[in-house]
Amino acid sequence: MGVPFDFAPDRPEHIDAILNGLDRYNPETTAVFQDYVASQCENQTYDCYANMALLKLYQFNPHLTRDETTTNILCKALTVFPSPDFSLCLALLPPSVLASSLTSSDSLAEAVQKLAELSRQLNSCDYAGFWATLDSDDLYADLVADVAGFDELMRVRIAVTVSQAVREVERPLLESWLNLRGDEFEQFVRGVCGWEVDGPVVRVPMNKENEAKGTVVRENVRFDQFSRMIRRAYEQPA
Amino acid sequence: MSLRAGENTVARPAPLDDESDAEEEIMAQDFQEQVQYEDGMDDGANGFMGGPQDVQAQLAALAIPLDFQATLETKMISYDNYCSVFHYILNSEGPVDLEAPSVYWAWDVIDEFIYQFNSFCSYRQRVALKAENSEEISILRENSNIWGCYSVLNVLYSLIQRSQISEQLAAMKRGDDPAQFAGEYGNRSLYKSLGYFSIIGLLRVHCLLGDFSLALKTLDDIELSKKSMFARVMAAHFTTYYYVGFSYMMMHRYADAIRMFSHILVYASRTKNIQKNSQYDSITKQNDQMYALIAICVAFHPTRLDDTIHTALREKYGEQFNRMQRGGPEALPLFEELFRGACPKFISPTPPDFDNPEINIDPVEHHLTIFMEEVKNNIWSPTVKSYLKLYTTMDLKKLAGFLEVEPEQLRNWLLVNKQRSRQVRWSEGGLLDGEVVNSSDLDYAMQGDLIHVSEVKVGRRLTDWYLRNLARTY
Repeated sequence: MGVPFDFAPDRPEHIDAILNGLDRYNPETTAVFQDYVASQCENQTYDCYANMALLKLYQFNPHLTRDETTTNILCKALTVFPSPDFSLCLALLPPSVLASSLTSSDSLAEAVQKLAELSRQLNSCDYAGFWATLDSDDLYADLVADVAGFDELMRVRIAVTVSQAVREVERPLLESWLNLRGDEFEQFVRGVCGWEVDGPVVRVPMNKENEAKGTVVRENVRFDQFSRMIRRAYEQPA
Repeated sequence: MSLRAGENTVARPAPLDDESDAEEEIMAQDFQEQVQYEDGMDDGANGFMGGPQDVQAQLAALAIPLDFQATLETKMISYDNYCSVFHYILNSEGPVDLEAPSVYWAWDVIDEFIYQFNSFCSYRQRVALKAENSEEISILRENSNIWGCYSVLNVLYSLIQRSQISEQLAAMKRGDDPAQFAGEYGNRSLYKSLGYFSIIGLLRVHCLLGDFSLALKTLDDIELSKKSMFARVMAAHFTTYYYVGFSYMMMHRYADAIRMFSHILVYASRTKNIQKNSQYDSITKQNDQMYALIAICVAFHPTRLDDTIHTALREKYGEQFNRMQRGGPEALPLFEELFRGACPKFISPTPPDFDNPEINIDPVEHHLTIFMEEVKNNIWSPTVKSYLKLYTTMDLKKLAGFLEVEPEQLRNWLLVNKQRSRQVRWSEGGLLDGEVVNSSDLDYAMQGDLIHVSEVKVGRRLTDWYLRNLARTY
């Protein structure tokens, strides 16, 4: 079952009211949204639609922009890859943040480009590369510091995408994807994912996505599709 | 009599697919009504003409496009004109007693209003980036509120609220009489049509500002079908589907984007004969743009297109279409070129920074960069898929050898391709609604280094076959 993009299970009523009214353009609501972002970071909830409303307020009122909140929103968007949330958020940022020639003078641009690099690695499924990059620079630690359980959230996300495509995977490979070793690894794989560790391989139980069963799509022929044909038979006697 | 004539013109070129006859008929009726409505409108206007002539003239003037080479001053005066007329319409005591000059007028006004806003913002950004014309820079600096996005949005939202069009549309959806929910403003055709087209205007403005999900959300109240009010004005019909399709594309929902573009392109090719007015010329460009976008989407999401569209696509973008479908890095410039030519002219909502000309980057470039990330990420999928199609099981290292890449690289590509084959697709409800489905005709899973491949086969297209053969018997 799908959920609409603008739906968030944990959205408080007052946020919902702002989003559905014209107050979403009111600069005074910036503070409300900022608090909401902070609470998402703390409580491991996520509401992209509301966060984008805040980015829009920043877009309209650049002087209100808080860099930290912006990067927090982007970090939260990373935790739901491979959905398009990260690029949708990027689209609302000022065009100058992605221009590499201008980074030196602008700390927001630098941060955004750093996070975009993470997003690129995640989307190209270079998970080992993602962890290495995350570890390579103290700035990354600062950027994700506000997002509670960032590493854990990323691991779960990675595990989900892996489980869609894999039935069996070599243990060292999965270790590098999840950036976990030894007991921690086994705990996560067994406890959180419910997968089976069998010596050098890890088995992912069959699910709808990784069974890769061939199917034949059949077309249902409905009578009303022929209505034109039948009417013509009446109207233009041959 | 002309209804019959209209119906025949529509019915004949129509290819055989699942579009029901009833819809075609409604379409023909719509055009018929449109003509009658316009006639009736003239009478009404003549009767009314005892009223303020100059306001009538001013109303008509709003819908007339600015000269292409209009000076900065003209553009600014034009803005003031819009402001004063909208102010008059919205803030007089009670609804103003005016009739719209024609049924297309409301669309034309909103369309031209947004077009001028759009081109003004682009112009202002270019002036700032070039930093050459100091005279214009100082004018723009002093008048930073001209064509501000808050005032443009304000006009659109006010028109929507005054006309209570959302309430009316909701009532229509429930099957109630919209007039009961229209209020004293919304019962007048001037307000109703302005309000209605303002919703479509909002879709467009949100998309221009890069807020694609909000753009789609805006259309929650509008039912996308040929029976909708926007379908009566060809340009509005086109614009709606263009922006909805584009927003879907930017949300990585390619199947939905293709559905939108196909719908309108098929419609356009069928109604070419009955669209003999100038409206048709103005949409030719958007028509070509949508073919480019559909080519991009199909490259991401290979699918079977309607025959009419497929043929036209081959004519217009045959070479590019083939190369994009093949993928690989050499296709990247093609994606870039087509995107640039077919995307809306994105804008920044705020005045540019005249003191730092170099940071005023064209928003089109911004969106292109974001979009190209997605393209680059998928660029190997066609190659990988073309190999997988040949096998039911395959060793990963062996396939890597064929492709001349590292096994780890191939493993990543396989994961990427698998992820991208799971797409959100609309089935019912609002435009943002949808379910995750497997959109590929190929599925696979990895067991260690062994790739198990399976194919989704499409059974015979029976309806098409029946219809085609039955048609022959006549």
